[in-house]
Amino acid sequence: MMAWMLAAKERVAVWGADLAQAPDEWQSWIDALSLSVMSGTGVRAITYSLILLLVGGSAEWLFWTYAYAPLRALHATVAHSAREAVRLGLRRLVLLCAGVLLFTGATIAASAMLSWPDGVHEAVVAVTLWLMVVRLCWAVVDVLLAPGRSARRLAPVRPRHVPWLAALAVLVALLGSAARFLPELIEQTGNVPYSAGVLRLVLATLTALLLLLGAFVFFGPPVRSAARRSRLPTFPRSFLVAALVVMAYAVWLLGSPAVSTIAIVLAIVLVLQMVLRSAVFFFWSERWNAHRDAAARVEAGADAGQRQTLMPHIVLSAMRFIVVLVGLGACAVALDTPITDLATRQGPLVRFAFSLLGVAALGLLTHLVWIAVRTTIDQRLQNIGPLDPHGDPNPQARLLTLLPLLRMTAAAALAVMLLLSSLWAVGIEITPLLAGAGVLGLALGFGAQALVRDVIAGIFFLAEDAFRIGEYIESGTTTKGTVERITLRTVALRHHNGPLHFVPYGALGTVRNNSRDWVIEKFNLPLPIDVDSETVRKLIKKVGEAMLQDEEVGHLLREPLKGKLSRIDPGVKVFRCKFETTPGKQFDVRAQAIKRLEAALKAAGIGFADGRQVVYLQRMEDPVQVVGAAPA
Amino acid sequence: MPSKTLLRNLRLVSGLVLMLFVIGHLANLALGLHSLGAMGAWRVLLLDPWRTPVGAGLLVASAVVHTALGLYAIATRRSFSMSRTDAVQLVLGLLTPPMLITHVVATHIAAEFGKDFNFVYGQMLAVYWSFAPRYAFQQLFVVMMVWIHGALGLYAWLVLLPSWKRIGGVVLPVLFAVPILALLGFAESGRAVLERLDTDPAWKTLIIEHLRPIAAMVARMEAGKDRVLIAYAVLVALAVGVMLVRMLRDRARPVQVSYDGGQTAQGRRGLSVLEISLAGDVAHAHVCSGRGRCGTCRVQVEQGALALSPLNDLEESTLARVHAPPGARLACQARVLGPGVVVTRLLPAYADASAAREPASWGLESAAHLPEPSP
Repeated sequence: MMAWMLAAKERVAVWGADLAQAPDEWQSWIDALSLSVMSGTGVRAITYSLILLLVGGSAEWLFWTYAYAPLRALHATVAHSAREAVRLGLRRLVLLCAGVLLFTGATIAASAMLSWPDGVHEAVVAVTLWLMVVRLCWAVVDVLLAPGRSARRLAPVRPRHVPWLAALAVLVALLGSAARFLPELIEQTGNVPYSAGVLRLVLATLTALLLLLGAFVFFGPPVRSAARRSRLPTFPRSFLVAALVVMAYAVWLLGSPAVSTIAIVLAIVLVLQMVLRSAVFFFWSERWNAHRDAAARVEAGADAGQRQTLMPHIVLSAMRFIVVLVGLGACAVALDTPITDLATRQGPLVRFAFSLLGVAALGLLTHLVWIAVRTTIDQRLQNIGPLDPHGDPNPQARLLTLLPLLRMTAAAALAVMLLLSSLWAVGIEITPLLAGAGVLGLALGFGAQALVRDVIAGIFFLAEDAFRIGEYIESGTTTKGTVERITLRTVALRHHNGPLHFVPYGALGTVRNNSRDWVIEKFNLPLPIDVDSETVRKLIKKVGEAMLQDEEVGHLLREPLKGKLSRIDPGVKVFRCKFETTPGKQFDVRAQAIKRLEAALKAAGIGFADGRQVVYLQRMEDPVQVVGAAPA
Repeated sequence: MPSKTLLRNLRLVSGLVLMLFVIGHLANLALGLHSLGAMGAWRVLLLDPWRTPVGAGLLVASAVVHTALGLYAIATRRSFSMSRTDAVQLVLGLLTPPMLITHVVATHIAAEFGKDFNFVYGQMLAVYWSFAPRYAFQQLFVVMMVWIHGALGLYAWLVLLPSWKRIGGVVLPVLFAVPILALLGFAESGRAVLERLDTDPAWKTLIIEHLRPIAAMVARMEAGKDRVLIAYAVLVALAVGVMLVRMLRDRARPVQVSYDGGQTAQGRRGLSVLEISLAGDVAHAHVCSGRGRCGTCRVQVEQGALALSPLNDLEESTLARVHAPPGARLACQARVLGPGVVVTRLLPAYADASAAREPASWGLESAAHLPEPSP
């Protein structure tokens, strides 16, 4: 700690010395420079620079004579989806960057062919590269923000912020790349270390101030509106970003170059993480549907719901991961770390850091898988919606049970796997752990045999779709009722008399499901012995046809009511009637059928078999009727 | 209202004269790649014609006409929307006269000195390379500026001609090569001049002697320069002022234009249809960026033809050249003076100069029938 303080103090002393020495040094350098410029040397330098400008400009001009029409075509194309917009943007970026790179390449190549005065060649190359960086930044800004062209914009920026943000980005690129190229250049060519230091300080301070301004403007307080007021107050992001800028600047000012690079990369990574969410979700926002016509929207609507929540989450996680990785890579490159050596190096701290990096990667990967699993399951659950146990049995109902179960299992499995792989990655031996867990599992397995049997049987019952919520099932003689609830271990059956049975799956055995597909209902119709069978058959058939037209029961029937003479008993003709309905509706339909049959028979003058029997006595003149129970 | 075709031709001819003058200078410089002697020898052919009364008169007239037309174009500008090359051309064109004044005044003074002041080309170069590098910078920059300005104008004119397909392959490399060769020649001759200055003291003394009277004239020169500069600044301010007044006058009167495809755009009254398209981000082809030359911005006026400014001669000839259907207008020339204008763009926004060179190949039908740019 103290060492750092001392180092910081030293840095401040260096800055002080720079500031004190720079003016004189600068003055003498400028004098010398103007003296050398105002001579044949200067004329030659300027002439050659103009030649480079012409060569580069010609190359780029030639490029644009071919590329301008395609660029205009890209500008004129309206993107119908986010994916298309990104593709168009990338094409534009390629065209713009190709022009810039052509200019830079032609200029630098031509510069190599000229015999420059001392030091000028380096300056020209540095300025060309600087120009290239700034123009590339401008190309990126142009493609992302598209100032004045809101339809092409690829970033969620408030319209009134766009020109300012674009200006800020280009200015920061200008100053930042100047800070990278110019001080080094004047230090090398002019041998003016103090002025270079001051130039560096001025450029960095200006950049920091601009960024600070940007932090307060672009992450500034949201517009006060009714919708905003109802939201809970959150920590102001502008303050956070500003703090990061100040932190990076302070570290740059006081720390060593290595530490300041890390601080700057850290600040950039954090700010990117802050804006990443809105930047990613922007591509799945409503904005892109606005251009689409209604038919396409309906067509896409079916699975769009799922994609719209699943994809951005996955992309967001991946982007966060990539940003962190790129940040780490940038640190490594900036610090000039020999990356290939690092892994094989024997330092325990380095190895530990690498294992931690591995753990972080594992964690991010697990997170990615978890997001994918969870969003898919949640989306399916949401599509099924809440279930009414007494309504029609829903084919999706078992998913309501299985999906949360699956989600829990996936979470547990992922967590365990992550834990174990992390331990392994850090270097802790996990074999004994696994063996111990195996022994423990065995012991538990014996103890909880019944429980395990129930759960496993349940999983198979559900997987085989043996019953669903709302179905009437029977198992054995006494266990019967409507399925009301399915849990991990039991199924709850509501008996038609009211009581609720909780049946463990293990005890369920054979299941008789009365609510599947169809049922056939049969009943007998006893009629007097003297009716004409054919007439009755036709009459029953007619009733059946009439029932098909009925509003109440017609749609329940799968096969219409039919009847035929099935048995002749003494004094009775028994007609067997049958029909086929949707499961669970047979009782209603039977009541309706009997009601209609009664009316029809009455109209036809046929009565039901009354069970009266005529007994003839030999000695009597008149027959005496004896009332008795007729055989059923 | 002066005839637009006449103005265009005047601008073209005066520009070509000036371009010829600059080409002579640059070609002479390029000879420096060979030797100082060659420069001096060819000077008679390349530069001296401009010193004759006829040549000088033509040159001055062209310069004045071209500058005046440039200022007139600024004054009559209706909006700031312009392509990048136009902006470059405009800025370079505006900067050229003040940069050139030193040269003109120096030449004028030198002419007053009469026969004494008959520098050999090498001696002039020695002045630039050794005695007064400031003038060398100025001359270098002004020559480049004039060349770029001229090359842009020449390209914009030639690329629309049907013969561009034949001459383009020659003209474009020449446009690029001439200034590069001239600069290389200048650098090479500079090296030779400096060498001679070191090795030939008599030559050096001769130049110093010749320079002495000129140094005495510098004060007078500066005073004359200032007067011309101020006059020019006033003229530019006047032109810009007229432009701003014209722009502000109509700012409170917005008009709307509807396009095929259901797009609409808004702009000030008096803007051309093309300017309203560009302001409203409506994709609209405009290869010559609103000069009325290429005809790619042509539109079919569906409604509100009376709310547009009447046809001018330039528009008429261009429309005839591209075989536009009856009822078509050039969007860059038809100014919107009232509401209710509905137009159909006749060419897709990605139409390039070939649409102006070979109007038949781009069809006479509406843009709707042409292939849509596919992503």
